[in-house]
Amino acid sequence: MGSTRLDRGVAAVRSRWTDLERDWQSVAVGATTVAAIAVFELQIPW
Amino acid sequence: MSAARFLPGLAALLLGAVLARAVELTLGFNHLLVAIALGFVLANAVGVPDRLEPGINTHKLWLGAGIVLMGASLTLETILEVGGLVLLVVVGVTTLTILVVELLARNVFGLADHMGSLLAAGSGICGVSAVVAVAGAIRAREEQIAYAAATVLLFDAITIVVYPLIGDLLGLSDVVFGVWAGVSMFSTGPVVAVGFAHSEVAGQWATMAKLSRNALIGAVVIAYASYYARSGSAGRPSLRTLWDEFPKFVLGFLVLVALASAGVFSSAQQASIENAYNWLFVLAFVGLGTEIQLAELRSTGLTPALVVLLALVVASTVSLVVLSMLFGA
Repeated sequence: MGSTRLDRGVAAVRSRWTDLERDWQSVAVGATTVAAIAVFELQIPW
Repeated sequence: MSAARFLPGLAALLLGAVLARAVELTLGFNHLLVAIALGFVLANAVGVPDRLEPGINTHKLWLGAGIVLMGASLTLETILEVGGLVLLVVVGVTTLTILVVELLARNVFGLADHMGSLLAAGSGICGVSAVVAVAGAIRAREEQIAYAAATVLLFDAITIVVYPLIGDLLGLSDVVFGVWAGVSMFSTGPVVAVGFAHSEVAGQWATMAKLSRNALIGAVVIAYASYYARSGSAGRPSLRTLWDEFPKFVLGFLVLVALASAGVFSSAQQASIENAYNWLFVLAFVGLGTEIQLAELRSTGLTPALVVLLALVVASTVSLVVLSMLFGA
């Protein structure tokens, strides 16, 4: 039951992602990176 | 469609990125140029294996994401300091390039009108994307699109090598080199690569100048569509075209510039964001290198290449002189 709900959630996210224009996908990747750095104080090495 | 099919190519991009960074740390070569060279060698020495292609083809997504993140290391104050002048130069050089290509193509070399327009859009705005966008609006033929795209890619490959050499030879300042690359080179990836290979500041100015130029694509598509609609060889343009052709990641970039200007990020967060975009750029440039394929470049016609070469020399020289006068060499 739980895994079915999870599968549906993943499928919905994947479907939304593939529907996005590539430019908006870039914005989403950027926003997720900034959110991860801000919320989790993620340190990215260089 | 399985996400797993992207993994081999993504792993290859990541491996190339780590290798490029390792070469920089050990031998001192610029990591972005090494990344492009690695992709180029893969594509031309052994060919990109089919199973790597889906993942490697995501490289433009990472370039866009890197540009969005770059917004966090800039402030409105920095942009406004010289931004107005840069915008004028962008519009001036774009117009000059389009006019010179159209003039040479139609009146000197006798190329077909559609071919000249595709070359003008590719040289004046944003490389292959502009060729494809204008081709749709003016209903160009398949082989004209292929020739124009190959010509643009040929000059992307040449300018990636030549611009850094000229920049070093003339000892150009960061702002002059960055804006010069941004207003006169063709595709976004090579512009960002040579800019950041020169310096961090040059890379930021190169990217901002190029983004301003890319934002003109909607207006240029509408202008071409209107022109060809009068002769009945294209559909009617609409305002919707402006939005459709607008590079939307510029909006994400501007939001981060605004947040950084408002002091939302700590210095540690800004350092992490900067490192993140550096990694995204290296990933993207490994993929960009795979797009430079010698076999395709050989299919470029001599006349289109000559037209674009002459226009590039004019636009490049005029913009370099103007920028040196405005900002000092």
